[in-house]
Amino acid sequence: MNYLGIEPVRPRVALFSFTGCEGCQLQLANHEESLAEFLAAIRIVRFREISSSEQGEYDIALVEGAITRNDEVERLLAIRAQTKVLVALGSCACYGGVNRLKNSLDPAVMNREVYGDLSQESLPTRSVGEVVTVDLEIPGCPVSKPEVERIIQHLIWGIPYSFPAYPVCLECKQSFTLCRFQQGELCLGPLTRGGCRAICPAGGLGCWGCRGPAADPNYPEFFAIARQQGFSEREINERLTFFGGLEVTP
Amino acid sequence: MTPLLHPYDVTREEGFRAPLDYNRKSLLKDVDRCHKAEIVSVIRLTRKERLFHIRLLEQGERERFSFLPGQFVMLELPGFGEIPISICGSTSQKGFLELCIREAGRVTTMLHRARVGSRVGIRGPFGSFFPLERMKGHDILLVAGGLGLAPLRAPIMHITENRSDYGEVRILYGTTEPEQLLFDYQYEQWRRVDGVTLSLTVDRPDAGWQGAVGNVVRLLEEINTPLEESYAIVCGPPVMFNSVCGTLHSRGIPRDRMFVSLERRMQCGMGKCCRCNVGSTYVCMDGPVFDFWTVMNLKEAI
Amino acid sequence: MLFRIVEKMAFRSLIQLLLETTQVIGPRKIAVTREGKPVHQYLPLSGFEELELGYDTTDIPAKSYFLPYEENLSTWSFIGNDWTQEITYRLQPRVLVGLHACDINALLKLDKVMTREFFPSPYYISRRKNSFIIGIDHEPCQGGFCHWLGTDSVNRGFDLFLTDLGDRYFVAIDSERGFTLLQQVAVRLVTENDTADYLTVRRRIASGFAPPLDVRQLPRLLDMEFDSEIWRRWGAKCLSCGSCAAVCPTCYCYGVSENVSMDFTRGAKVKQLYSCTLKDFAEVAGGHNFRSARETRLKYRYYHQHRGFVEQYDEPKCVGCGRCGRSCLAGINPQEIIGDLLATEVPS
Repeated sequence: MNYLGIEPVRPRVALFSFTGCEGCQLQLANHEESLAEFLAAIRIVRFREISSSEQGEYDIALVEGAITRNDEVERLLAIRAQTKVLVALGSCACYGGVNRLKNSLDPAVMNREVYGDLSQESLPTRSVGEVVTVDLEIPGCPVSKPEVERIIQHLIWGIPYSFPAYPVCLECKQSFTLCRFQQGELCLGPLTRGGCRAICPAGGLGCWGCRGPAADPNYPEFFAIARQQGFSEREINERLTFFGGLEVTP
Repeated sequence: MTPLLHPYDVTREEGFRAPLDYNRKSLLKDVDRCHKAEIVSVIRLTRKERLFHIRLLEQGERERFSFLPGQFVMLELPGFGEIPISICGSTSQKGFLELCIREAGRVTTMLHRARVGSRVGIRGPFGSFFPLERMKGHDILLVAGGLGLAPLRAPIMHITENRSDYGEVRILYGTTEPEQLLFDYQYEQWRRVDGVTLSLTVDRPDAGWQGAVGNVVRLLEEINTPLEESYAIVCGPPVMFNSVCGTLHSRGIPRDRMFVSLERRMQCGMGKCCRCNVGSTYVCMDGPVFDFWTVMNLKEAI
Repeated sequence: MLFRIVEKMAFRSLIQLLLETTQVIGPRKIAVTREGKPVHQYLPLSGFEELELGYDTTDIPAKSYFLPYEENLSTWSFIGNDWTQEITYRLQPRVLVGLHACDINALLKLDKVMTREFFPSPYYISRRKNSFIIGIDHEPCQGGFCHWLGTDSVNRGFDLFLTDLGDRYFVAIDSERGFTLLQQVAVRLVTENDTADYLTVRRRIASGFAPPLDVRQLPRLLDMEFDSEIWRRWGAKCLSCGSCAAVCPTCYCYGVSENVSMDFTRGAKVKQLYSCTLKDFAEVAGGHNFRSARETRLKYRYYHQHRGFVEQYDEPKCVGCGRCGRSCLAGINPQEIIGDLLATEVPS
């Protein structure tokens, strides 16, 4: 910051993709109104969604996707060894994401279901943090670009970023959004970390918990409410396990 | 014989002799605008604390600005945030403000990196103050623990600058380790003032430490003169208040003659954001300085 | 106070006239719950037809038109080693029509915090003075307990206040601008017949309330029951989601965050209404949290409503609108908590 006499550094940022849809990488190219400023504040050295060139060293590795193969483990270890800061980008990287659903099923059956006779090597899904040390997690499916910008700024300044402590409910109320439970739908808003501006409930979809837990999730009370509202154990648990960031019913 | 009830003199209330203003109808002001100020000097106190000298840029504002010991300002780093900081300098300093700041959060971390000459914002002063008017003619005990010496420094400076108004002055200060002692370069200066004593203690002495070891309460217990007519100011971590104030009370000081400074989260300084609210009490407006009787009546205050 | 009679057709013309030049906010039906109950919210109207003055209650109060959930307090521009601060206050007038007595009483309570005392808030005052308020009498709403708190009627804080007499409104006028605005349409003086009809309606409304609980003991009981199991029991249910404070018409606490653009040329200081039930409400730099337990935070909210505010202003902060209870998924509601507190002294 110039006015404080601090010259902002321009960190070299590399993006890496593992098992996932690459939607989070794509999200980084979004938010056009500040895209030019974003790209000027950092030096992208590897970003296959917007450039095919790959070059040299980096300070920050943004890692998206879950880890499901041995070669991915090796690649991730190499990235960890090379980067100063490793950021897990998106719910797959943070929690295993949707890919984690397969962990509760028979791997052989799953392999056959997906690949037929051309069976592929596939490990149980792990989050990035379960394989290497992660410096920072940015959950979301996809991540929120304005939030990524804020976090990158904090990395540039070298000060810790704090996520909102409140759950999605607060943002629903503050944006005049009707409670999904009132409409007879299941919603993980009371458990899930806010900061997403509650866009799913506003769009008519109950929260699926992509951002992981808020600062003080009250699981027992949530289970009691969901059951009392008529949702089955299976429905509740399917929702809770969807992104892998939340606890399930005991 | 210790009096069971202490007389109260209304004319000792702060501002009692100030001229009346019958025309004051509204206090509505552009209070969210901060005064632009410059960091003129930074003094390293310890590994984590620095003393910032901050000068209001506009001459008129600089001349109008005044505060009472114990009050705080909101320090703004545009784009980063705003935090409450107690003023730790002398009320007689007109050119600049002294703020002792620990590197703890986002704003303070950036501030510790800022260069001399940087421009920050100041709003205030806000809050209550130590009633030094009322303390005139009495002995005074100033007890600090850790970072608590910062809010205590303003009354220390006021008292040493107006030495003849007060009786015996004892400063008791304790930290965990010797290297955490704040303002160590000033101890000699304070000690040399006639009628002022300064005692230091640490919990974990290092090889070079020659002073007392242990809690600041130990220093209190070593005082063997009567304290009934004394006033006390106690600043430090909340855990200190009960033990220090309890000891002071057992030595005959009424709880409403000992004053503490509370720390809370604050976003406005003006009794609006509620973050510092304890029950019905706003630490930013009714505090940060409270007498200990009031603190005892505040639920969850310490 | 002056009173006039305005025919409903004339009132309709008045709103339509206002809509031509001014933003008009009123209760609009936005959805139906799964039980088939209509949900109303105070929203900008595009035509008189959207206005449903016979609504029961709204899920969100009118508070956000005075204390927005998110508000820009300052805008920064950075130039080299210097910066400038720009602050703007609301200048445009607007009309809020259809507010119930509880919501106007809520504004009167906010007025005490925001327009008096030290440091009146220019942000609030500019919004309050730019709001033309038309209130309306109504039958007791479901789940409200305003009559416990004396907020079921209101004598000031509005420009016009309507009582529905069937084909016409009985209008209480509490401002010069209200009186002048009414002259835009046909109004007439109140006759004995109108007064009789008005009193009949008022009596019907008053008789619709269930017997109230006596809340006068709450300040003392809250002090005495500070460590009560009541708080552990209700606190265990709290989701720490902040919905109660968000839908409370008198909760005003907030947090401030600042941001800068990626190119460091612009920044903003933004206020967001907060809630004392949220985990980090009383957390300070360095990590210490003065209220880390759920039950402590929930208790604190009731403490401010029914004790702290009373100590400061001789009246509770709560207006008994019941929104917090209706919005709470866990079923934490003020009537039962107050009942539990009162029962510690006089078992019910």
